[in-house]
Amino acid sequence: MMTAPQAQPVLQPAAAPAVTPAPAPLLDIRGLTISYGNARGTLRAASDVSFAIRPGEVMGLVGESGSGKSTVAMAILDLLGGGGRVDSGEILFDGVDLRRLPAAERRALRGDRIAAVFQDPFTSLNPALTVGRQIAEPLIQHKGLSPRQAAVRVEELLAEVGIREPRRVAASYPHELSGGMQQRALIATALGCEPKLLILDEPTTALDVTVEARIIDLLAKLCDSHRLSALFVSHNLGIVNRICETVTVLYGGVVVETGRTGRVLSRPAHPYAKGLVAALPRITAERRHRLPSIPGTVAKLSGAVTACVFAPRCPFAEETCRSQPQPMRMDEAGDGVRCWKADALAGMPWPDEDAGAARPSRPQPQQSAPLVEVDHLRKVYGANRSVLPWLRRAGTVAVDDVSFTVGRGEVVGVVGESGSGKSTIGRALLALTEPSAGTVLFDGADLTERVRRGDQDLRRRAQLVFQNSAASLNPRKTIGAAMDRPLVLAGHGDAEERGKTIAGLLTRVGLPAAYADRYPHELSGGERQRVNIARALATNPDFVVCDEAVSALDVSVQANILNLLAELRDEMGLSYLFITHDIAVVSHIADRVLVVYGGTICEEGPIASVLRPPYHPYTEALLSAVPRLAEDGQEVPRILLEDAAAAPGGRGCAFAARCPRKLGAVCDEQAPPVHATADGHRIACHIPLATLAERASVFPELMGDDARH
Amino acid sequence: MFAYFLTRLASLALILVVMSVLIFLVTQAMPGDVASMIAGQFASKEVVDAIAVKLGLDQPLIVQYGRWAAGILQGDLGRSLVLEQPIGPILMEALARSLVLAVVALVVVAVVGIALGVLAAVRRGKLTDQMVSGISYLGIAVPDFFWAIVLVLIFGSYLKLLPTGGYTPISEGFLPWAAHLVLPVVTLVLMLLARIARLTRSSMIDVLQTNYVKFARAKGMPESVVILRHALKNALLPTITVLAIDFGLILGGVVVIETIFSYPGMGRLLLFAIQRHDLPLIQATILIVSAAYCLANLTADLLYAFVNPKIRHGMRAS
Ligand code: SF4
Ligand code: SF4
Repeated sequence: MMTAPQAQPVLQPAAAPAVTPAPAPLLDIRGLTISYGNARGTLRAASDVSFAIRPGEVMGLVGESGSGKSTVAMAILDLLGGGGRVDSGEILFDGVDLRRLPAAERRALRGDRIAAVFQDPFTSLNPALTVGRQIAEPLIQHKGLSPRQAAVRVEELLAEVGIREPRRVAASYPHELSGGMQQRALIATALGCEPKLLILDEPTTALDVTVEARIIDLLAKLCDSHRLSALFVSHNLGIVNRICETVTVLYGGVVVETGRTGRVLSRPAHPYAKGLVAALPRITAERRHRLPSIPGTVAKLSGAVTACVFAPRCPFAEETCRSQPQPMRMDEAGDGVRCWKADALAGMPWPDEDAGAARPSRPQPQQSAPLVEVDHLRKVYGANRSVLPWLRRAGTVAVDDVSFTVGRGEVVGVVGESGSGKSTIGRALLALTEPSAGTVLFDGADLTERVRRGDQDLRRRAQLVFQNSAASLNPRKTIGAAMDRPLVLAGHGDAEERGKTIAGLLTRVGLPAAYADRYPHELSGGERQRVNIARALATNPDFVVCDEAVSALDVSVQANILNLLAELRDEMGLSYLFITHDIAVVSHIADRVLVVYGGTICEEGPIASVLRPPYHPYTEALLSAVPRLAEDGQEVPRILLEDAAAAPGGRGCAFAARCPRKLGAVCDEQAPPVHATADGHRIACHIPLATLAERASVFPELMGDDARH
Repeated sequence: MFAYFLTRLASLALILVVMSVLIFLVTQAMPGDVASMIAGQFASKEVVDAIAVKLGLDQPLIVQYGRWAAGILQGDLGRSLVLEQPIGPILMEALARSLVLAVVALVVVAVVGIALGVLAAVRRGKLTDQMVSGISYLGIAVPDFFWAIVLVLIFGSYLKLLPTGGYTPISEGFLPWAAHLVLPVVTLVLMLLARIARLTRSSMIDVLQTNYVKFARAKGMPESVVILRHALKNALLPTITVLAIDFGLILGGVVVIETIFSYPGMGRLLLFAIQRHDLPLIQATILIVSAAYCLANLTADLLYAFVNPKIRHGMRAS
């Protein structure tokens, strides 16, 4: 929730003006303009971008997809590929304009003075070379170490980034390491030559929340101890808040706001920054809260900037905004904003679309028989019960003894990290995978049984919306054709009638009916996800499984889609199984939530109970790892988990290998008992409920809500 | 790795046993009767029968096969009926000559093809790339014997630079020996080069776009290291598989090539054996060619595993 708007000038000077003159910036970007050219013309990826990073400073470069943030980072490294070109501007590093250096000298700086860590550790390491060799390469290349000297240094580096068996890890191939270890190895590579500047391009985006928390912690420590400067490119404001001193906000390739992180995130001056902060889903126990969102999508830009880039989506836009480009206005504290109305809008919050508007009161989930009942569900992959002993394999347990229900009109969230079995649960509920044991009842009938009999009605009544909105639509088929298929399969009227239904569905999800004739690539990510939702609704289902349905979307669009899903639930009485890794998203939409780890349910209950103590030890760690904005509550000491995860599926508690509160052998050997309370809150742990309840709340601000309840 | 090697070797043995049965049955089904061929056109029935008994041709097939297989296991490939000599030495000599041809061609294809592919990928869209593509199309579009004829005409008949056929043992000097190899090898290479170059080019282009190549560049690695160490090692995986298949194609192709260039290798030997209905020679030749083909595949698999740590380690685990 937003704090009350503060009516004070936005760009007030820093409380204590610096007495000593500010040191010369280490990296000084001036008027950088970058474009991408292809056969169809040129697109402007960055226009007149300027910012500076002082020695020892970590700057966040934030923005949504298409903002140009990664392009700027790659331009600094001279690694723009795919037709990217710097048209003008200066990249001053330590006072030298990198653009004037010959290519060979720029290459020599890379990996030595300027090092980088990229987003995806799984693909950033070469599968054919050992990790140690890859870390050693820059040492040999830039520092002239012999392979033997380098090997010694590699082990030191791996130890420094928190890897316990450096020798073993150095001799491993990337696929033998977990994602967290791979990212540590990449960080070790970057640190090797003791660079002055780190370029971190979304370094934790591909990692699980608990792993991300540890990596961020590590990066913060390293930047501090090595006096490193860093450019931290990210879309995640919570993480930027945790690690960056200053932040620069990009929109449409233009810097719209820059300043100290605390100020920008708590009192954003530019309307876009206001919207971005407002649309961020926060942990909330108040489920009916509707997220503010930014309407429209980022337009692709070409040619010179002639207006405020944000004007098409800005709720405060006036004629003046559209007639001239906005200049950057800087104050002496180094804060800057590119909006002529910034001062007038100070303290004005982003408009909340339906603030105060009476929303149709939603029928409460009925207490009658649940729609979906899952009983002792178990799914083992890769098992082989062959008569031939050497072919027999135990397989991997993806889901182990899971039981829960989804009521009619109820939204049940499933929160877990990769490998938790959350997607398998969703697939089992849609009969896309057959359970190894246990039953799934859909509306009272056995699902597996009905699918075996070829029950088409079931396919109609339960639908799936999943993460990758682009991959789930055939690029060669129009939207209309893609939506027609489920209708034909469900035996829905003639072509004309189906066309009408499709138009109706598109309107229902907030798209123009004319989109039926478009192809997927003509749509933005958010629009494609709306199409996927419309397609899922085509057969008039009762139950929709949303598997990471909003995870790949930008914050502003994510809010849009979440609101849409909530509306559809209210109006059509849909039940959802909402699978996600993001507990903040779940808290906005779910009635109840299951926290899963290693294929088992650790904790289950109404969202408000799960967010408050007593916590299951895993839930507590998960909640404390969620990056948040400062205004959301004071920082709680984070519980950092080991990133090594032993394969679950043993006899004891699935979380035992990483549990910070593990009691001892009992956790390894006996399945934990389930403590249940009156409101349906259940925790599976050997620690007694009373002891678990003694822990402080991860969200002290939620405790205040209790008084109001 | 070792356990994997043993399993592969065992399956190879099994395949060869099956192959030998097939070869034996098929050659038995061929028209013509060995005994009467040996005895000559005008021999009496008694003489033919006597020869058949002597050769064991009156025994049930299974016994004949058993005897043949047992002989092979002891290193005895039988006697050629036409040449009236033990098959072993003749075959080995021909095999050695064919293998020289095949291996040299394979090495040239691999080296030149991969180099052209890498070059085209690195200079993607530039003139070099277009030239490599153009040449590749030409190589693919034209049948292989066409090149053989063109080469013979140009270098042999017109320029008189190279012998157009035949063979000189290496004992008579390296240059004459090598000169006889040039035209057959070049013909084989032209037949296969285009595919290898195009395949390497496309997998190289894919690999050059991966994150680990971008990361290697971000580490400041020189472009040559990025391409050779980081990209090529990964891009070679599909190429290796195809090279192994190509080795089979070369072994098949030598029959044609050896005939055109009258090169005395396995292909010519097989042709001779078939024309003369020399059953034991046919059987032995086909069996040896099959064995060579299987071995080539095994080598490729091992090489593939060696380059790809994921497989290597998967094997260690199992
Ligand atoms: S200049 Fe106008 S359109 Fe642009 S952000 Fe400011 S108020 Fe909005
Ligand atoms: S049962 Fe033991 S290992 Fe599992 S969560 Fe509880 S304390 Fe931790």
